[in-house]
Amino acid sequence: MTASGQIGRELEAVLPKERIVADTAARRAYDSDAYPIDRHPPDAVVLPETTEEVSRLVRWCVEQSIPYTPRGAGTGLSGGAMAARGGIVISTKRLTRIFEVDAANRMMHAQSGVPNLRLSQAAAPFGLHFAPDPSSQSVCTLGGNIAENSGGPHTLKYGVTYPHILQVVLVDPSGEVWTIGSRSGRAPGPDFLSLIVGGEGTLGIVTEAWVRLTPTPQCVETALVAFPSVRQATECVSAIVSSGVIPAALEMMDKGIIGALRAAFGLQYPDGSEALLLVECDGNDPERIADELATVESISQANGALELRRAQSEAERKDLWKARKKGIGAMGRLAPSIVTHDGVIPRSRLPEMLDFVYQVAAEHDIGVANLFHAGDGNLHPCMYFDDRDPLQVEAVIAAGEAIIARCVELGGSVSGEHGIGVEKSTLLESMFGPDDMRLQRIAREIFNEGDLCNPCKVIPNQKGCVEHRRRSRGVAW
Amino acid sequence: MSSDLIDISTRCIRCGFCLEACPTFTETGLETHSPRGRIYLARSADEGQASWTTVRKSIDSCLGCRACETACPSGVEYGRLLELARSRLERAEPDRHLARVLDWMTRPSLLRLSAALGGLLPGGEAPNPLGPGRTPVPRPQPRGDWPPYEGPVPKRGEVALLAGCAMDCLFARTHEASVRLLARVGLLARPLHGCCGALHAHNGFLDEGVRRAEALDPRGLPIVTDSAGCGGWLKEARGSKVKDLSEVLLDGGLDSDLGRCEPLRLRVAYHDACHLAHGQGIRAQPRALLAAIPGVELVPLAESDTCCGSAGIYNLREPEMANLLLDRKWRHIEATHADVVAAGNPGCLAWLQAAAQRSGSRIRVMHTSEILEAAFSGWSS
Repeated sequence: MTASGQIGRELEAVLPKERIVADTAARRAYDSDAYPIDRHPPDAVVLPETTEEVSRLVRWCVEQSIPYTPRGAGTGLSGGAMAARGGIVISTKRLTRIFEVDAANRMMHAQSGVPNLRLSQAAAPFGLHFAPDPSSQSVCTLGGNIAENSGGPHTLKYGVTYPHILQVVLVDPSGEVWTIGSRSGRAPGPDFLSLIVGGEGTLGIVTEAWVRLTPTPQCVETALVAFPSVRQATECVSAIVSSGVIPAALEMMDKGIIGALRAAFGLQYPDGSEALLLVECDGNDPERIADELATVESISQANGALELRRAQSEAERKDLWKARKKGIGAMGRLAPSIVTHDGVIPRSRLPEMLDFVYQVAAEHDIGVANLFHAGDGNLHPCMYFDDRDPLQVEAVIAAGEAIIARCVELGGSVSGEHGIGVEKSTLLESMFGPDDMRLQRIAREIFNEGDLCNPCKVIPNQKGCVEHRRRSRGVAW
Repeated sequence: MSSDLIDISTRCIRCGFCLEACPTFTETGLETHSPRGRIYLARSADEGQASWTTVRKSIDSCLGCRACETACPSGVEYGRLLELARSRLERAEPDRHLARVLDWMTRPSLLRLSAALGGLLPGGEAPNPLGPGRTPVPRPQPRGDWPPYEGPVPKRGEVALLAGCAMDCLFARTHEASVRLLARVGLLARPLHGCCGALHAHNGFLDEGVRRAEALDPRGLPIVTDSAGCGGWLKEARGSKVKDLSEVLLDGGLDSDLGRCEPLRLRVAYHDACHLAHGQGIRAQPRALLAAIPGVELVPLAESDTCCGSAGIYNLREPEMANLLLDRKWRHIEATHADVVAAGNPGCLAWLQAAAQRSGSRIRVMHTSEILEAAFSGWSS
C-alpha cells in the first residue's frame, strides 16, 4: 500500500471514511491553490464538520508527526493552502453552517468554511452585510479571509478583515480549542485576535467566528472615468482623497487591462485611454452622495479626464464594475496561466512604479496588466504566461521578486492582501529587520511547536522547506 | 468552438470562481467534484500526467449543468471540455453497456413501450439500467386531449419542430401545445423526427452525437425545439439556425396575444433548465411569456438555476447525488407555495414529477408550453 493509502486508512479511526480522500486524482487536485507555480500533493484530504473533529484530526497529526495544512476554497494567491511537506490537507469546505444572525447587536456566528458572500446574503434581510469583500467573495471563505486578513475593493472605507472579526474559535497546533476575542468587541489584556487574523493559518485553524455586521448603505453612486495617462489618474486619486471625500471604492485599471477587456469582451473605452478609474460613493443620504460624486466629477475634469460614465441604474452600475471584476478573467483568455502579484506603495509613487513594472515585464518578455486599489496604494501587477515553459515560469518569479523589492524601496510593503504564503517567504526580510523577524519567529514557535501546522509558509524555518523550494517551486506544468 | 481539449483547459486560471456555482461541489466540498478540479484533472490526463482511469470518478461525478460557465470570468467552454474529456475516457475505457442503453433510450418506440410497461410495475418504478436501485418511470402523457384548435391559420412561415426521443413520445400533450403555440404566432410546425444525439455527445460518444445531429433533415427550415437539452446541443452542433421555442414565441409577439387571454389565477414558479439558462443564456424569455398571462403571478424560486439532478442520464448513473439535488430543488419549490412549477426540458419535468409524487405534493409540474397553451385553450385540472 502506498504511504498516502496507508495514511488514508489510518485516518478512518478519526473521521468517517466518506470524508477522507486519498486517491491519486484527489492528491493531484489539491496540489495547489490559485497560485499555480508552486505545487505539492498532500497524502490525504479530510473534511471535518465540527470544531471537535478538527481538534481530533490535529491531535492525531501531532501524535503521528504528520504535517497538516488548512484550506478553504483554495482561492489564495500566494500558495498558502498548498501542502508544502505533504501530509494532510484539512479542508473547511464542510464547515459551512451559519449558526446565528444577531441583527440587534449587528453580529453573526458562522463556521469558517462559509463563503464570504453567503454571510452577506444571510444578513441582507436585516439591512446588514459583512464588509470585507475580496474579489473572490462569491467563493472565498470566512476562514480564508481571517487567515489572510483579506482586503477588497471596499477596504478604503470599511477596512480589512481584522476590524470585522469579534471572536474566533481556534484549534491550536496542539489540538487544543480556544475562544479568542470577545463578542462585545472589547477584550482586556493582550490582543491575541490580532495575531490570529492574518496569521495565514500557521498559528492554528479557525473553525468558527463571530463577525461584525455593517449596515448596508441605502444609496450607491458609481462612476467610471477614463484618463489619457496613469499620472493624471493618480493625481486625480490624490485630489479626491485630499478633498475629504472618502469613496467606498477607488480602483484603477491600466492600459493592459483595458486591452484585455477589449479583446475578451469587446468593452470599448475612449481612444487614448491609458487608465480607468472606478469611483464608488455610498451612504444613506442621497444628497450627500450626489454631492460627493459631483466633487469627484469636477476633480476628474480638472485632471484631464477623457470621459466620465455615471451609472443611472443597478444594471449600469454592474456594467461599470465589469471593468474591474472581469479584468483578471479577461487576462485568462490571453495565455494559459496568470500570476497576480500584490504589493503596496505610497499612492503618489504609482506612475514611476508602473513604469518600472512595464520595464521589468519587457525585460523578462512577459505580458503584464495592472489593477490597483488606488485609494490605499495596493498594486496588483498581473502577469500572463505559458506555464508549460520552464523559462517563462522562472521569469515570472524573478519579475515578481524585482517588483516587490521595488515596492519596499519606495516605502511600501511586500504584500497588501494576498499574504506571504510560500510565494514571498524569502522576501519578508527585505521589509523587516532582524529584531522584527526574531519576534515573529518566537510568536510562531510559541503557538506552533514542532511546526507541523502549515509548514514552510510565511517564515520557512526547517530543512523540509528548503527541499520543497528546490523541488516544487517554479516547476513548470 | 474548440475541438482541442488543451485549448479549453489552459484558459482556466484556477481562480475558483466556479466553485460555489457547482452543485456537486457545494454538496461534497470536494475539489475533485468541482469544475476547477475537473479541468485540472482532465488537463493532467490529456497531457499524460495522470491516467484517464484515475480521473474517471471526478469526470463521472459531473452533471454537465454548465453553471460553472455562467460563473467563469475567463470564458472556459466547460460543456465542450466535458464532452471531449468524456469521449477520451470512453476511448480509454469503453463502456459497451452504456452504449446499448443510450441506443435503447433514444428510440421512441422502445421508450414508449418501456414507459407503458414501467407504469404497470409496483410504485411506477423499474430497475435502474445504469446504476444501483430502482428508478421512477415517467408516465406518458395522453395524446390529443386539447380542445379543437380555434386560433389563427399559420401563414407567416414554417419551422421544423424537433420531435426528438422524449417530447413526442412521453410528453405528447406538451408537444401538441408547442405546435399550437407556434401556429398562434403564424408558424406551421413540421415535425422533425429523429434523435439529435445530445445524450450521446454528453456521455462520451461525441462522434455519434455529431453524426445524429447532422443526420437530422429539417428540409431547409429553421429548427425549433421545446427540449433544452436537445436545443443546447443542436445549437452547438448545427449553429444559429436552431432556436428554443420560447425565443420564437416571444419574437413572434405571443406575449401580447397572451395579454388578451382570460385570467388564469395561478402562482407559477419557474425552474431554469440548465441547458436553457447556462447552455443557451435563455432566462428572460420563458419568464416574460408566463408573466404575460393575466392573473399569473410569477413567484421567485431560490436557486432557480441550480441543477435538479436529472441532467440527461445522470440520475441513472449517479442516483445518490441526483437524489440529493432533487431533494434540495424540491424543498425550494415547496417553499414558494406555488400552484405550478414550470420548466423547459423533459428530463427536468420527469424528474421533478417523481419528486412531486413521492412527497404527495399538490404542486403541479408542467412544461412552459402547456401553461401558455392553457391560457388560450382553458385550464384542465
